[in-house]
Amino acid sequence: MAAPCWHVGHHIRRNAQSLRVNIEHLAGNRAFGWTPAVHQQAKESVILPRKKAWSKEAVLETLASTLNRDSTAYPYQFQDDPYLSPRTATEFKLYSLAQDSGRSAARYFVNNHPKFFTKDFAEPHIPCLMPETVSLLLEEVSEEALKERITLRKVTAAVDMYDQLLQTGTAVSMETTHELLDLICLYCDRNPVQEGEAGAEEEKEGRRMTSRRGADVPRLSWTENNNAERIFYLLPERDTRCYSAVIRGMVKHGAYAKAFSVYSDMLNNRTPGDVHIFNALISAAPEVRDGYSERWDLISELLNHMKQQEIHPNLLTFNSVLKSLRQCGSLARSYSPQTLNEMKALGIAPSLASYDHILAVFYKSVSSGPSNSDVLQNLMTELEGQSFTCVDPDDVLFFSSAMKVCLDNKDLELGYRVQSLVEVGENWRLLGDSVQLSIYYGRFFNLLCMMEDVDVVLRWYKQMVPSLYYPNAQGMKHLLQALDTDGRLDLLPDIWTDMKTLGLYNRADLLEQLLGLMAGEEHSPELQEAFAVCALDVKSVFEEKAGLEWSASSLSHVTTLLLRASKAQQAWDMLKLFKAHNRIPSEALLNSFLSVCQRDGASERAVELVQLSAAFCLTSTSGLASRALAEFDLNQEQRLVLAGLEAAAGPPSD
Amino acid sequence: VSDVIQNLSFCKSTETHYAPKSGKENLLDLLGAMKVEVTNKRKLKSLKTKSESATNYAPKPSAIESTFSMFQKATAADTSSESGTLEPDLVAAASAAAATLPNSRQAESELLQQLRRRKDLTEAQKKGNDLGDIIADMKVGKKFSRQNSWPSNQIRFDEDGQGYTHDRGIASELASVRKRKKLFPSKRLNIFSPVTDKDTAESPTLWDIAFVNELSFSTNQMPRNVLEEMIQWTKEGKLWEYPINNESGLEEEVGISFTEHVFLEKHLEEGFPRQGPVRHFMELVVAGLSRNPYLTVQQKKEHISWFRDYFHQKAEVLNEADVCLS
Repeated sequence: MAAPCWHVGHHIRRNAQSLRVNIEHLAGNRAFGWTPAVHQQAKESVILPRKKAWSKEAVLETLASTLNRDSTAYPYQFQDDPYLSPRTATEFKLYSLAQDSGRSAARYFVNNHPKFFTKDFAEPHIPCLMPETVSLLLEEVSEEALKERITLRKVTAAVDMYDQLLQTGTAVSMETTHELLDLICLYCDRNPVQEGEAGAEEEKEGRRMTSRRGADVPRLSWTENNNAERIFYLLPERDTRCYSAVIRGMVKHGAYAKAFSVYSDMLNNRTPGDVHIFNALISAAPEVRDGYSERWDLISELLNHMKQQEIHPNLLTFNSVLKSLRQCGSLARSYSPQTLNEMKALGIAPSLASYDHILAVFYKSVSSGPSNSDVLQNLMTELEGQSFTCVDPDDVLFFSSAMKVCLDNKDLELGYRVQSLVEVGENWRLLGDSVQLSIYYGRFFNLLCMMEDVDVVLRWYKQMVPSLYYPNAQGMKHLLQALDTDGRLDLLPDIWTDMKTLGLYNRADLLEQLLGLMAGEEHSPELQEAFAVCALDVKSVFEEKAGLEWSASSLSHVTTLLLRASKAQQAWDMLKLFKAHNRIPSEALLNSFLSVCQRDGASERAVELVQLSAAFCLTSTSGLASRALAEFDLNQEQRLVLAGLEAAAGPPSD
Repeated sequence: VSDVIQNLSFCKSTETHYAPKSGKENLLDLLGAMKVEVTNKRKLKSLKTKSESATNYAPKPSAIESTFSMFQKATAADTSSESGTLEPDLVAAASAAAATLPNSRQAESELLQQLRRRKDLTEAQKKGNDLGDIIADMKVGKKFSRQNSWPSNQIRFDEDGQGYTHDRGIASELASVRKRKKLFPSKRLNIFSPVTDKDTAESPTLWDIAFVNELSFSTNQMPRNVLEEMIQWTKEGKLWEYPINNESGLEEEVGISFTEHVFLEKHLEEGFPRQGPVRHFMELVVAGLSRNPYLTVQQKKEHISWFRDYFHQKAEVLNEADVCLS
């Protein structure tokens, strides 16, 4: 830490010195020591550069720009301890939740027991580490107490205090009433869950997880005649902010039709609206009308009202127009470009959320058929190299939708362009939470596995896994297919190790695919050895994990692999497993087993093999028996047994 | 939030700019436009060597499918077609500009060639693409943000021709050449009109705070390395600011000179006797305070005034002890 500071200080000192030299030129004509050229320069006017004002973080930002992401490390936020590094996606979630809950527990203690945290060591003072007031101090019935309750977000207490104030006849200022209405409508008349209380963290995470899918389904619902409405109707005069709070609250919590009735109320009273009211109403428009054209008519009517009341739309207005257009069917294709152009005409730059809505309109997933990726291509050209910040919560959905379009159109070039946009500056932050992140990278990886050379795929794999992306079973399947297509089956043992680390051994179908790939053809002896080791590993996984059922093909694959690696005894144990799990070995398997036995000269085993086949009542028993009789030198007893089996099985039925 | 929106710049199209200056016969302006052309031509030359397609003479701007590019090209077509009288002036300006360049005759012929090429291109594009909408909406186009795009693009082109953001690979160039059509047809809803005044920002309401919270939840704010973490801590106020300033947190002390800390006798002028044990005591107090680096000047003054009040209160006791309080 000291070294960079020293460099910086040294640099400043050096620069200051050159500055001083310039000043001396101006000040005096002390010519000793200066060369003629320098003296010449002194005669010209010296322009002192203006002092630059650097931000507080300038030094750190410069240093941070020299660092790239380390693709071999786990994300920085985790403890740098092998035991505490998350290796699977579930561990990732668990550990980050654990960190958050630790922080909120610490916050809880500091806030609720401030008497232990009175001594202030920090010089200068650090306000954010000091205890905050979380409990109510003022108890008397006054507006101050009401304001305090509003600041501490205690909804029921605030409502009670307000009612008490009204009963005593004290007038409450308009400002405070506005804030009270805001509070009630924001939290739908229920107390928000405080930090540190039980269940807060899971609920917050759960909210984060479901907020994507459940965005249209509000978690809390607006009840009839709740406190917000009551207080609202009790007010002697209602101005814009009151209407705004109530309408926004109604729309947020699902009471759409009511919101529109309050809006018509507002129009009747000729109260001017504001931009937030219209944003809320536009986003609620698809819920109160069925039929595409009616929805669009309502939206355009609202926009015209805005124009009449001379309310200037902002980015969120247009984003809600685009979002509602998604539910307007075929009208969307004509009107959303127009909306986009309107935005540009007004000088409002579209955010990623607007582009996400456009993509959704033009690429309605399954029904659109073979659509071309022109829209996305042109969009990427326009967006290339730009840095974005999040201005709308839906911004984070853009990249995964874009990648989905690339995946559906199998357009690798476009996928690379999307990825390069993600890598610009801080855009990677806009990939969203861990769910969105895994969706995006899953699709990108899928596209790569489908379309790219296996070397490139492996390079991306090394870069992304596991620092950015924990592949799920689907991703692994794609990777295995890519390896198969390009014939790089020698990497399968390493992939199996990765699969174990990632915790992907719970999927029987994945294991079966892996085994099938390994057992597909004969390979070099070392590779067969490696495969056999993997096969034994898989076998132990099957045995240890409850709920994993052996299938006939997996069993035969494992047996084949063991046979090829000349592990006859273990292969024999595998055959016993067939019986145990009620699976039937195939004829090819038994034949190859017989060949191996013949190679090893194990005639005992051969006989047992034929007997096993007979126990399974396989049709190939007689064939096996005759083969055994022919190829092995057996003693009399064995011959008898075999002859019996051969005869008993009878000729194979066609 | 609105500042954030403003930071997103969306007009990055850069191309020929003679159109807006139609009607201005000022040579300098035309020369300015010419300068654009010359650098454009240089870029064209490099483009030509890079890509194999002969029809790629369309300057890179046309490849950027934003509505602005099509608007400006269309307006260029408009002005060049509607005012044929501009041509001779352009030619004159071209020769004047070429005279300033080193290889004047060649430069002049190249400039004129470029003019002709540009005109052909706009004609071709006019016929080729369905510019009906564009031309129909050109009134709309003339209204908005050409003022915005012109200065910034001027600045871009005043650089050495590398005013575009970056060089793109051949594949994307070819791709962008292939798809010459615009991103979207340029019709708009025509409900609102652009406004220049900005509303005054109100104090953040609960809704704004909730919105900002939602934004911070949806993006990934975790630091990726120790330096980003330190940046976050600096923003929260938990870390010293680099380069280290020993006096951070003591800003108000910077303006107060040391004389006010050390020479405190002037506070003993009033309220205290000139001689006697009280004065002696107060001089000792002042000597101690002048050597105290931990108190602010205000605190020292309060110290002294506390003593002043104290001795005034205890006046009877002092009188009984025969200490004069003059």
